[in-house]
Amino acid sequence: MTTLATDPQAARSSRILTYLRPAEIYVVFLLLLIAIGPYIAPYSAYDFDPASSLLKPSWAHPFGTDEFGRDVFSRILAGARPTLLPAFASAVLGIIAGTTTGLICGLMGGRTDQWIMRGMDVLLSFPALILAMLVVTMLGGSTTILVFAIALIFWPRSARLIRSAALDIGKREFIEACRARGEGMGYILFREMLPNLRSVVIVDLALRCSYAILLSASLAYLGMGAQAPTPAWGLMVKEGQQFIQFAPWLTIFPCLTVALVATGTVLLGENVRRRFAISQRLAR
Amino acid sequence: MSLWTLILQRILLMIATLFCVAVLTFLIVNVLPGDVAVAILGDQSTPDQVEALRQSMGLDQPILLRFGDWFGGVMRGDFGTSLTFGRPVGPMIWGRLLNSATLGVICLLVMIPVSILLGAVAAVTQGSVLDRAITAITTFLFGMPEYVLALGAMLIFAIWLQWLPGAAMVSPGENLFTQLDVIVLPVLVISLGGATYIIQMTRASMIDALGTAYVRTALLKGVPRWQVILKHALPNAMLPTLVEIGLSFGALLGGLVIIETIFNFAGVGQLMVMSVQSRDVPVLQACVLVIAAAYSVGSLLADIASMLLNPRLRT
Repeated sequence: MTTLATDPQAARSSRILTYLRPAEIYVVFLLLLIAIGPYIAPYSAYDFDPASSLLKPSWAHPFGTDEFGRDVFSRILAGARPTLLPAFASAVLGIIAGTTTGLICGLMGGRTDQWIMRGMDVLLSFPALILAMLVVTMLGGSTTILVFAIALIFWPRSARLIRSAALDIGKREFIEACRARGEGMGYILFREMLPNLRSVVIVDLALRCSYAILLSASLAYLGMGAQAPTPAWGLMVKEGQQFIQFAPWLTIFPCLTVALVATGTVLLGENVRRRFAISQRLAR
Repeated sequence: MSLWTLILQRILLMIATLFCVAVLTFLIVNVLPGDVAVAILGDQSTPDQVEALRQSMGLDQPILLRFGDWFGGVMRGDFGTSLTFGRPVGPMIWGRLLNSATLGVICLLVMIPVSILLGAVAAVTQGSVLDRAITAITTFLFGMPEYVLALGAMLIFAIWLQWLPGAAMVSPGENLFTQLDVIVLPVLVISLGGATYIIQMTRASMIDALGTAYVRTALLKGVPRWQVILKHALPNAMLPTLVEIGLSFGALLGGLVIIETIFNFAGVGQLMVMSVQSRDVPVLQACVLVIAAAYSVGSLLADIASMLLNPRLRT
């Protein structure tokens, strides 16, 4: 695929998603949650209180308490940071790597492009979750490693998208003029080509952020990345699941939070993608 | 070029890709800064322990030699010995692979026809209450993590209503059809997760097909509406849907890993999660290879199917 295909369904079915335009307040809401979540939490997210363990949801504890007596609602509020920040970080990191690779492919073309994209194809022949699990297991389960693992997943996907748009730009005359002027590679890539691809990068960022939340929530659920006692949402679901028979609120509320945030951000990403009319197939 | 040459080319490409996947898997395990011996023993291990394990695993030998040994073994179906069970990994995987494959195929058989039907119905009745309902539900399920769906289904159907078992206690290689009730929930959850993309794509391409000139011509010619929909519009709308199914195959496999773990289903995915938790590197390596191979075969089949359906791709 050399050209940036426009999405045939973009114009028509955007109707579905314009209903969800308010999804945009999600961004504000999530940033707010990250910024002040831990401070508005009514209880501590970490301190044990054996006297009030496994309490049902009530006015004092709207989402109930866990086996150590910690307030689930407070933990969810405090969990926005450890859940969302690594996701955003990995999306940004993956896009920086992918955009650079895509731009280089677009500028150089020919054999360089072919070989780099072959390498990217090998990375793409692992299902996303499987490669992330392998990398995190082999390098150790810290949050930093998780960020790098997810960035590695996004790298080829982002590179493919940027490249498809950059190939066109790389052949334009103003790039030729830059070369003749004797500009360096870095200047051409980031000062000449990148500004012309702004919309593609924005779409990429929106989509990767949403997938990153989904992917990191799944990895956290499998016990990778943040470790106890961090109140990461996926980890809370994993921990609460063993009490699903008699304390279902430990599973239900973190699950609902993850579902709400993940669906919201994925829809928002799709919304942005359609607004810039970039094909779904490329953006995957 | 004939169709068969193209298919052969595509198969050769797949084999080359699989080799690269094996190399990369080996590299991630053996070359990245994390030491396999440390990964197995954990952070609290002493240097002596690590050194002893390195020697017993042959980790002190040159990397190319180790790759040759390992890859030669894989080619013969020998994936090494599990560190936790002390048994050969090969036989452990095959029985589970059969389970996972059965589950996956049942999911596809349920998911694809139902999603195509729902997508087509939504397109034909565009703007109606039915269409809006289908669109709203798929929009809602879009981007929902698998485990949220799985735990929700488990809570409702297994714990509150007690209609279905919440865990699928099957042993590797057991005939799944003798106890269909245990796979109802896994199939339901995986299908719900995967159906959203297929429904949306079918709906969109079906609407495109319904708006074309040949459909209008057929209708004006007096061909019955149902016949136009089934014979003229639907086959042409199938192509993007097929590509979509091929693309979502990776997500399906990832979902399988999580769903198998939640429902305690003895498949490759569950084995992979277990091997991650027990740091059983040979098993993990084998699982990654098997799942990546399944992914490659899946995309190969999707590609061949679209080549068969679309003469324009045979160039």
